[in-house]
Amino acid sequence: MTTSNGSVLEYRLSAELTAIAGLAEAVTAFLAAWPHLAMQVNLCLDELLTNTITHGLKGEPGHEIRVGLALAGGWLEIAITDDAPAFDPFAEVPEPDLEAELDARTPGGLGVHFVRSLMDDYRVVREGGHNRVLLRKQLPDGAPAPH
Amino acid sequence: MAITTTLANLPEALLLQASGRLDGATSPELEKALLPLLADAGSRVLLDLAALDYVSSAGLRIILMAAKRAKQAGGRFVLCGLQPQVSEVFEMSGFTRILELAPTVADGRALLAG
Repeated sequence: MTTSNGSVLEYRLSAELTAIAGLAEAVTAFLAAWPHLAMQVNLCLDELLTNTITHGLKGEPGHEIRVGLALAGGWLEIAITDDAPAFDPFAEVPEPDLEAELDARTPGGLGVHFVRSLMDDYRVVREGGHNRVLLRKQLPDGAPAPH
Repeated sequence: MAITTTLANLPEALLLQASGRLDGATSPELEKALLPLLADAGSRVLLDLAALDYVSSAGLRIILMAAKRAKQAGGRFVLCGLQPQVSEVFEMSGFTRILELAPTVADGRALLAG
């Protein structure tokens, strides 16, 4: 389910990996003025949702994840709300060793690394049995205001 | 959006072309198509990503497995045709330093022929 009024996008998806591509399309449309930002936001959402679906919820059916995007005062604000067990990836997932040679490289931690690299602010709060991941990103200079 | 793979035999290598979206939902398909190509000792594989629009860490996991497998088997694994938004993800991961990359299929073939 999607609602969008130009400055706010509210999206609900069932907690399944195959549902993420639909969210990506809605985000790309919502951020149509900033295609590069849209790609970066979609990568962060995909990584965080994939972690929640596969590790937090262990693929269990019947869960819903809410994603909200809001444009305000030159910033994009993002909230992801899920009902998985309490988890803070920014506190618990270590940074990957990006300098390691091929034999020593492991894929773990890359997704959270992308979020840390691409967002200006990231944190998780626990509210009423839900994780709320809150992300902020400054909009590119000279960005057109949403209508 | 899903992922599609197409396999072709070149004199220098096996060419696998992947298109679409490479994420947690579709990476098992690439894993099935790509990793068996690197099973034999000395295998040479060129992975063309020119039609790949998106990659996440789930996709990078398969690429890393393929590169390690090629090295262990004394083979070669070269990627080519990365679109800017895909290249950006490879760079953020430090993968441009540990993988063999070429701009185009022709460049990748030249690299593998050498």
